[in-house]
Amino acid sequence: MSRLAHTVAVRASGVDMFFGTPDNQVVALKQADFEARRGELIMLVGPSGCGKTTLLSVIAGTLTPQAGTVEVFGQRLDGLGQEELTAFRRKNLGFVFQSFNLIPTLTVAENVMIPLLIQGRPYDEAHDRAAAIIEKVGLKGREEGRPNALSGGQQQRVAIARALVHEPPLLICDEPTSALDKDTGGHIMQLVRDLSRSPERCVVVVTHDHRIFRFADRIAEMEDGRISRVVDDPKLLDTTHL
Amino acid sequence: MYRLALNMLFGDRAKLAMLLCGLAFSALLMAQQSSVFFGIMSWTYTPMVNIRAQVWVSDPMVEQVNDAKPLRDTDLGRVRSVDGVAWAAPLHTSFVQARMQDGNFKLITLVGIDADTFAGAPAVLTQGRIEDLRLPDTVIVDEWGASLMGRMTVGPDGKPRNTPLKVGDTFEINDIQARIVGICKVKRAFTGGPFVYTTYDRAKGYTLGARRTLSFMLVEPQKGVTPTELCDRIERDTGLKAWTSDTVIWSWGERSLARNTFWWFWTNTGIPFSFGTAVLLGLFVGIAISGQTFYSFVLENLKYFAAIKAMGAGMGVIARMLFVQAFTAGLIGFGLGAGMAQGIGRVMIEKGMPPFVMYPQILWATFVLVLGISFVSAIIGIIKVSRVDAASVFRG
Ligand SMILES: Nc1ncnc2c1ncn2[C@@H]1O[C@H](COP(=O)(O)OP(=O)(O)OP(=O)(O)O)[C@@H](O)[C@H]1O
Ligand SMILES: [Mg+2]
Repeated sequence: MSRLAHTVAVRASGVDMFFGTPDNQVVALKQADFEARRGELIMLVGPSGCGKTTLLSVIAGTLTPQAGTVEVFGQRLDGLGQEELTAFRRKNLGFVFQSFNLIPTLTVAENVMIPLLIQGRPYDEAHDRAAAIIEKVGLKGREEGRPNALSGGQQQRVAIARALVHEPPLLICDEPTSALDKDTGGHIMQLVRDLSRSPERCVVVVTHDHRIFRFADRIAEMEDGRISRVVDDPKLLDTTHL
Repeated sequence: MYRLALNMLFGDRAKLAMLLCGLAFSALLMAQQSSVFFGIMSWTYTPMVNIRAQVWVSDPMVEQVNDAKPLRDTDLGRVRSVDGVAWAAPLHTSFVQARMQDGNFKLITLVGIDADTFAGAPAVLTQGRIEDLRLPDTVIVDEWGASLMGRMTVGPDGKPRNTPLKVGDTFEINDIQARIVGICKVKRAFTGGPFVYTTYDRAKGYTLGARRTLSFMLVEPQKGVTPTELCDRIERDTGLKAWTSDTVIWSWGERSLARNTFWWFWTNTGIPFSFGTAVLLGLFVGIAISGQTFYSFVLENLKYFAAIKAMGAGMGVIARMLFVQAFTAGLIGFGLGAGMAQGIGRVMIEKGMPPFVMYPQILWATFVLVLGISFVSAIIGIIKVSRVDAASVFRG
């Protein structure tokens, strides 16, 4: 692997995140340290409620932790205002959600265009780029249809197209396969892996789904609000509790 | 993003139809209720519309057109001698009982106009000629009145049928014969029944020579003299009250008899209150419906706006998207509603029932209200989206 591939993309250190009131507090992250590199696909696994989604939100800048620092591509997120965080996400992030979050009243192409339009790209240019990536996810011909006319797997393909259309250096996926059956989930992960592969890009995937662990370069295991260990080979994980 | 905002709005035909129906219905309700309200209120100054004269002169104590306090016949001469008066004609109005052929009595509004100038004569005669009023014992009856005074008979099919009065029919006013020589079309009034026109002198006879029969004087200013100027002069020289005849009830023209009549009814009767509550109800229901439909639209899209926000759209962009959606729906809804109100209004005006006066102000007010509702809904949506934390998009 090149030196570049090993440069740090995301670094979170000593992150604390609590929810609720002081006398009824839920600890979501406790002194969490996490690192992801450019060029890799890293999975975040662990039992339900251990803080995976919370950590993902902190990295994405949609949640601000009570303690600790988060650095994404050398940019410290603490200290950024709401507007700056928004601009940061617009430029650097692609999202794939468990529940797809496609807008049903828009066409497939229009859904995919959103990140480009948010960046201020003209409609026609955005449409062309959307069409190109829709072809790559294997949905050529469905551009002008509605997302609801597609199967779950196809909808997640659209979501992947939307997450990558503006070529963000950081792709964040929260349980991208948990709404899909086994085979479809495998295909979706294969697609994520194929399309997002780039020496510059870092992909963080939160999952419960051990069947897709094989797509990971590294796997970070979480427990009670912190990363307990990081492994290179899924076989090293104890998957019984997942 | 605005194009997307619009596509989001237009994307779901069923929901859009609901939204537009809500908005259109409330716009219709607001416009049509207020139009009927002003229509009914316009009946209060009907004489100002039917009897066309530039300046009206009355007793100083008169406050509105339906409440004439008789003048002396000699007052006519005094008004005629005021500088700037081209001509002045007498006008009689009173409520009297008419006895129909079948013996029934009907309350009518008797209007006596000057036989020389025919000042105050109805504008539209559907049958007969105004000059025929110069023949003895003649009257002209308005169309609606003619059917009110008509005879109930049993038709060949056994159903009761109303035969309106027609030219040549007769009835009696205080035992004096009245023969119909014409049928006219006039605006209906709030007070009184059928309008029966005759000459001023004959009206005196019909009212059994009541001592004073001069209700109003109709005055025409000379060229170059404005009605308002003339009013000032008449009041100064005669001590009588002079009024202009414009029917713009919005104006602050203190001299307008129509306007004073309108506001007299407004302050002195329960009519505005009872009809006003209907208008308010219309407004209230309208606001509730359109507010509600908008709000549910916003709620349904909330999670998508949250996703857009997470993907990096600032609140400014989202706010503008919501405004574009709200105002577009508001505009279309208003257009549909106002169009329907106008259509219904046209039918109503044709039938004359219920009265319908859609001032441009009503449309403007409805427009402003609907857009106001859109604005408030958009603001509520914006607040909602700004409160929803972007991290929530990760939750199922
Ligand atoms: N907005 C919130 N308000 C209160 N508590 C929260 C909130 N978000 C998360 N939590 C709590 O923080 C803890 C961590 O939640 P998180 O969603 O990060 O877990 P997770 O590992 O993603 O779980 P899952 O696998 O079920 O998605 C949980 O106990 C959860 O109840
Ligand atoms: Mg989660």
